[in-house]
Amino acid sequence: MTPKVGLIANPISARDIRRVVASANSVQIADRANIVLRALAALKACGIEEAVMMPERAGIAGHVLRGMERARSHGEDRFPRLSFLPMPVTGTVEDTRRAARLMAASGDIAAIIVLGGDGTHRAVVGECGRVPVAGISTGTNNAFPEHREPTITGLAAGLAATGQVPARIAFADNKKIEVSLDGGAPEIALVDVAIVTDRFVGARALWRIETFRELYVTFADPEVIGMAAIAGLIEPVSRSEAGGLAVTLAPAGTAARRVRAPIAPGLIEEIGVEGWRRMPAGSVFTPALAAGAIALDGERELFFDPHQQVEIRLVDRAFRTVDVAAVMRFAARNGLLVSHPLAAADA
Amino acid sequence: MARKISYKQAINEALDLEMRRDPTVIVLGEDIVGGAGAPGELDAWGGVLGVTKGLHAKHGNRLMDTPLSESAYIGAAIGAAACGMRPVAELMFLDFMGVCFDQILNQAAKFKYMFGGKAKTPVVIRAMVGAGFRAAAQHSQMLTPMFTHVPGLKVVCPSNAYDAKGLLIQSIRDDDPVIFCEHKALYGSEADVPEESYAIPFGEANVVREGKDVTIVSYGLTVHRALDAAEKLAKSGVQAEVIDLRTLSPIDWDTVIESVENTGRLVVVDEANPRCSIASDVASYVAQNAFGALKAAPQMVTAPHTPVPFSPVLEDLYIPSADAIAAAVNKTTARALAA
Amino acid sequence: MTNNPFPLSKDELLAAYRTMRTIRDFEERLHVEFAKGDIPGFVHLYAGEEACAAGIMMHLTDIDRIASTHRGHGHCIAKGVDVHEMMAEIYGKATGACRGKGGSMHIADLSKGMMGANGILGAGAPLICGAGLAAKFRGDGGVGITFFGDGASNQGTVLESMNLAAIWNLPVIFVVENNGYAESTSVEYATAVDSYVDRAAGFGLPGVTVDGTDFFAVHEAAGEVIRRAREGGGPALLECKTIRFFGHFEGDAQTYKAKGENDYNREHRDCLRIFANRVTSAGAVSEAEIALVDREVASLIDAAVESAKGAPLPSPRELLTDVYVAY
Repeated sequence: MTPKVGLIANPISARDIRRVVASANSVQIADRANIVLRALAALKACGIEEAVMMPERAGIAGHVLRGMERARSHGEDRFPRLSFLPMPVTGTVEDTRRAARLMAASGDIAAIIVLGGDGTHRAVVGECGRVPVAGISTGTNNAFPEHREPTITGLAAGLAATGQVPARIAFADNKKIEVSLDGGAPEIALVDVAIVTDRFVGARALWRIETFRELYVTFADPEVIGMAAIAGLIEPVSRSEAGGLAVTLAPAGTAARRVRAPIAPGLIEEIGVEGWRRMPAGSVFTPALAAGAIALDGERELFFDPHQQVEIRLVDRAFRTVDVAAVMRFAARNGLLVSHPLAAADA
Repeated sequence: MARKISYKQAINEALDLEMRRDPTVIVLGEDIVGGAGAPGELDAWGGVLGVTKGLHAKHGNRLMDTPLSESAYIGAAIGAAACGMRPVAELMFLDFMGVCFDQILNQAAKFKYMFGGKAKTPVVIRAMVGAGFRAAAQHSQMLTPMFTHVPGLKVVCPSNAYDAKGLLIQSIRDDDPVIFCEHKALYGSEADVPEESYAIPFGEANVVREGKDVTIVSYGLTVHRALDAAEKLAKSGVQAEVIDLRTLSPIDWDTVIESVENTGRLVVVDEANPRCSIASDVASYVAQNAFGALKAAPQMVTAPHTPVPFSPVLEDLYIPSADAIAAAVNKTTARALAA
Repeated sequence: MTNNPFPLSKDELLAAYRTMRTIRDFEERLHVEFAKGDIPGFVHLYAGEEACAAGIMMHLTDIDRIASTHRGHGHCIAKGVDVHEMMAEIYGKATGACRGKGGSMHIADLSKGMMGANGILGAGAPLICGAGLAAKFRGDGGVGITFFGDGASNQGTVLESMNLAAIWNLPVIFVVENNGYAESTSVEYATAVDSYVDRAAGFGLPGVTVDGTDFFAVHEAAGEVIRRAREGGGPALLECKTIRFFGHFEGDAQTYKAKGENDYNREHRDCLRIFANRVTSAGAVSEAEIALVDREVASLIDAAVESAKGAPLPSPRELLTDVYVAY
């Protein structure tokens, strides 16, 4: 039995206020479905015969099935068999969590292809355990999933899932940050945790820079968008190196140092920076701010009051991703997608 | 100072005068500027038949071309009217009402009553009506009865340039929604029209020819057919009185009844289809209210109950003719035309 | 440090709660009174969706116009229409907001910028474009908000209006109150792509989807789109994912809903409860203050029902008034 690949395509990512307060795009449902079709075709090309998808009712599944039906009616065998997880659809992030949980529990899913932004990936990672994730960016804040043609992500996921590329090369370990209130079950962030003076969740996204106070990042890449960009432009920290970065922010007017950072698509703002330090795995950090909101990967998720104890901790080797670049390099070097039909005939 | 101008120019002049008088008057419709966003002249068309030509130069962005979205822009005109503007929306051909009728039927017409008298909706919807242009079934109808049926709408259909100007000015000043029907075959017809502004009150029919033997009631293009018929009838000694209703809602029953009481005979001429038409409405009203005065059964001369045909030979048969009107008069007088 | 972590003052929080509580009690009471047979006609209740009306309308004043829907009581209350007059209107009384001539589906108060509940789905979208156009001509900074549901989102009028608002850059916000049901038909069935942000994108309008049961999410997103429109930034779409506690109309057995759906929603997705819990647990408002609003609203609704029941019926002469000519 060949391994299966899971697909989680979030129909509701990229719908937040950043389309109004910034110039974020919205990847339309039909585009998302086409991305799924591209990834499925790539999986099939690598020998994956079966894929399992999160059900949804916003139109992605319908469009995907029509695309597959059309190929079948042309007599083309371009796609793996596709089934949908038996689960209710709520139209909320709970669907993503439940799908990831079911995929991890099934035991025969070798990788999960995720379509969404940082928020969707966070929801998947919270539930998928050691099943590697291959991320495709269709969200607003896309610091975590790399920007790449989804066909290539599909090929890499297929080559990795089928074992054609050894696991030690195909899969990379990733860091995460855990945040807990009063010692409760931690929430996680894959890229950044921001402490802001807002003390309500509201429309979730972050764009009012005067509220920014602290920032904790797993990696600081100067090429990414969002809160992590602030850290990336001060002191880059790669995805693969140990530890992260903790940055103290301040209103630009009062800070000694300011950094112009792309905190949302099209929104480059001047942020005051007081200082920063490395954030080793396992060490507990506590916000200096007594009360505020905690944004996980760019979205306000929690708020805390003066009487609450907030603990922030970086975790190394927290989950695995498909290392698309490494897989494709290996595939090229070892000719995985190269055949020699004439040589075979001669033999 | 009166001078001869066309029906089309009279409408243009009414819009110009009202826009000058009242800054809340705006004009919107498809191609009414003509050329918006296109590489050529901005004011290229001035309406599909040039009725609004030149107004953009005088009033700028108070004239707005709209997308081909009748529901949206007729509705927007109605909404703006409910918010204190006096929009004049051009529907181009009244036949297009099918696309946007909800906004007229269920919105504009109802606001005042439905909101307990607390709303006014001073919107004018101008549109071309009538056959004779070889424009076929979807661009030629006389749909006036569709609108007179709806409480809350006023319906106007001028037959000449003088009335067109005065009635349009009144329509714009009126606080109720007005369907202003412009007969496309009359656009070129000229009349003496004063340069200054004047309003013709609604509900006042015009006795365009006096006579003692028969009352011919009509509106729009067929007023002229009725006059032609009256001219022919006069030669045979029949003196026909011709009444131009001018406004169909409200309608001037008094003038009609008074005339029928004098003549004792009624012929109603209507370019609309016969059932539930202006013709049947007037005939039944007279039968109900002046039965004692009638010396003969009222007659109706209308279009047949068919769509408007395209082929000129058929379309010419479709529109009530002077001969048909004279024949109907003769039925009421039971006298043949002088041979 | 103040105890109020929210972007609204304590008075504003209480005002928001009062609006939502007034809508809820108004609707719950109508549900009861309708069953007694005293209320004529069709009544469509807004209960469950209160955070949408309250969160949006807090950003508006009387110069701003709204075009509502058949499910319009909540919009009326949040826009400031008098509750006594509304109740009397629903009872068909002479003291009603429309003197008994409009009823539940046509409550309007133009002096408050409320352009009417509307019995025709999607009809408010063109009208609000007109309101936006008027505001633009006057230059008064007013905005227009049109509400429609997931059902009416499929009306051509809505789509045409998005295009018109976009090309004329009108200060107009299209608010989709997506409660999942067009009468009895699910949004998943009836809407090819049930992302309204996608639809808005088709017309070049920015769109935002928020949790319509979260007052603060609605309030913040609405604040941004409304501010943008006021500043000349043009139209936008706001989708509030919400729920309807009752049926499409009163008397609807709601057999198309899942078993237990209403109970679950009342337990877990009640926007009033969510709001009250959040503001009291943060210490911004005390439970006693919430309870006081509850009591005041309860007596307001009692009084409104009582006065509506006792109010005079329209005089027969009213049949022929408010239309320029009547026969």
